[in-house]
Amino acid sequence: MNQDPFEGRSVIQFSDERDRRAFLKYAALVGVGGSLAAALPMTKVLAATSPSPNPSGSPSPSGSPSPSGSPSPSGSPSGSSQFGAGDVGILNYALTLEYLEAEFYQKGLAANILGDDAKYITPIAAHEAAHVTALTATLTKLGATPVTKPTFVFPPTTFTDKATFVKAAVTFEETGVKAYHGQVPLIKDGAILGAAASIAGVESRHAAVLNYLAQMPPVPNPVEQHATMDETVTAIKPFLGA
Amino acid sequence: MLNSIWNRRSFLGRTAIGAGAVIGGSTAIELLSTTRVWAAAEGSDGDILNFALTLEYLEATFYERGNATSLITDSREKDIFATIQKDEEAHVQALTDTLTKLGVAPVAKPTITFPAATFATRESYLKLAMVFENTGVGAYLGQAGSITNKDILQAAAGIFGIEARHAALIGVISGATPEGGIYKGATETPIAKADVLAAVMPFLGGMPNTGFAPSQQSLNLLPTGLAIAGAAAAVVAFRTRGSRKPQQ
Repeated sequence: MNQDPFEGRSVIQFSDERDRRAFLKYAALVGVGGSLAAALPMTKVLAATSPSPNPSGSPSPSGSPSPSGSPSPSGSPSGSSQFGAGDVGILNYALTLEYLEAEFYQKGLAANILGDDAKYITPIAAHEAAHVTALTATLTKLGATPVTKPTFVFPPTTFTDKATFVKAAVTFEETGVKAYHGQVPLIKDGAILGAAASIAGVESRHAAVLNYLAQMPPVPNPVEQHATMDETVTAIKPFLGA
Repeated sequence: MLNSIWNRRSFLGRTAIGAGAVIGGSTAIELLSTTRVWAAAEGSDGDILNFALTLEYLEATFYERGNATSLITDSREKDIFATIQKDEEAHVQALTDTLTKLGVAPVAKPTITFPAATFATRESYLKLAMVFENTGVGAYLGQAGSITNKDILQAAAGIFGIEARHAALIGVISGATPEGGIYKGATETPIAKADVLAAVMPFLGGMPNTGFAPSQQSLNLLPTGLAIAGAAAAVVAFRTRGSRKPQQ
C-alpha cells in the first residue's frame, strides 16, 4: 500500500511565488549543515539495525569540527530569506510545518469521518495548534517576524474517508519528526533546543499512534531518523504548487 | 559529583556561550511553561551516556522478562512489545559502542530486580512499562541542554523520540486516556537526573562503577521522583524494600 494519499497533488500553496522561492532557498541554506551525524559511531550501529540508511545524504567529513549549530555555511546568502537565519529561521521552518499539520487536523476533525479514532486524533489537533501558538509567540518575543501562514490545498479525497486521512497523517507526522531531528544539532540556544526537542517528542507520540491506527509499523526504526530542510522540502514537494 | 567544580565550570562556560548566542532563557518559557531542567549541566557527555545506558539496561531487562511471560496475547500487541524490546537492546548496544569510542568505560549492567507483582498480570506489566517509558522520555529530554557534542546530541535525541513512541503505544495498548495517558500534553516534560535516579533506584540492586551511585541527595529526592513518574508500580516496588514509605 504505497498509495499516495494526496495523489501527487499539492497541499501547500504559497501566497505568491516569492514566498515559495524563499522557502526553497532557505531550505537549501540550512540543509547544508544537516548531515552531522553520518560519521557517528552510534548512527553506524543503528544504521546497521535499520532498514534504511541514515537519510542525510552526504557523510560529513570525518573528524570535522562540528559547526556547532551555525546554519550559515559559506556560499549561501544568509539572512535574506523571509525566515531569517539561525534559530529564528529554524523556528519559522518549524512554524510552517506546524501550520500545515494544524490545518490538516482541523479539517480532518471537521469532516467527521474518524469515528472512534477521533478520541486519539482530537488531542493531536490541539497539540499542533498549541505548537503554532507557541512558536509564533516565541518568534515574536525574539523580535523576529513569524512566517505568515501559507495557503494549503488538500486534495478533496483527503477528508472523505478515515483510511486516507490517517495515512496522510502518518506522512505528515513522520515528516515532522524527521524535520525536527534534522535541526537538533543546528540549534544554538539551549532553551530553544529544549523547547524544540520537547515538541519533537510529542510528534513522535503522534507518529506512533497514527501508524498504529493505520495498521502500519509504529516504530519503524530504533532511533528517529532525521532530515535536512532540503530533504523535508523534497518530501513535501509533491504537495507544493508546481 | 554532580556539583563538582569541574561540572560547575563547564556549566558556566556553556551558559556564557549560549547566552551570547542570541536568546535568553526566558524565551523558552513561551514554549515551556513547565521547566528549566536543561539550565543545569549534569555531567560530561560520557556521564550522560552512562546514565542513559543504565536506564536502557533497565528497560531492556524489563521487556526481556516481561515478554518471556504470556501476559500479552494479542498478536499485534506481542509484535509491538517484541519491537520495543529490540529497540531497547539496540539502545544498550549503541550507547555501549559510543562510550567505547569516546574512550569512556561503559557502566556495567546493574543488578536489576523487579517485585514479583510486576509480571503477575497484564495490567501490572503495562503499568510499569508506562512508567519506565515516560520516565525515559523525561530523562533524555532533561539532558538535552547538557550534551556538548552535537553528534551525541543527535543520537540521544533520536533515542528520545523512540521512547516517546513506546510510551504512546503502551498507552494505547493499556487503554489509557488519550490526553494525560497516551499523550502528555503539547510538549514533553524533562525530568532532572536526580529525580530519574530516585524513580528507578528501587529496581537497581547494585550499580557498580556507575559514577552516580545513590548519593544522599538523590535518596532524599526519592518521593519527588516517584511523584514525577506517577509511579504506582514503583511505589509497590519501593514498599517491597521496606525501608521507607513514599509520601503521597
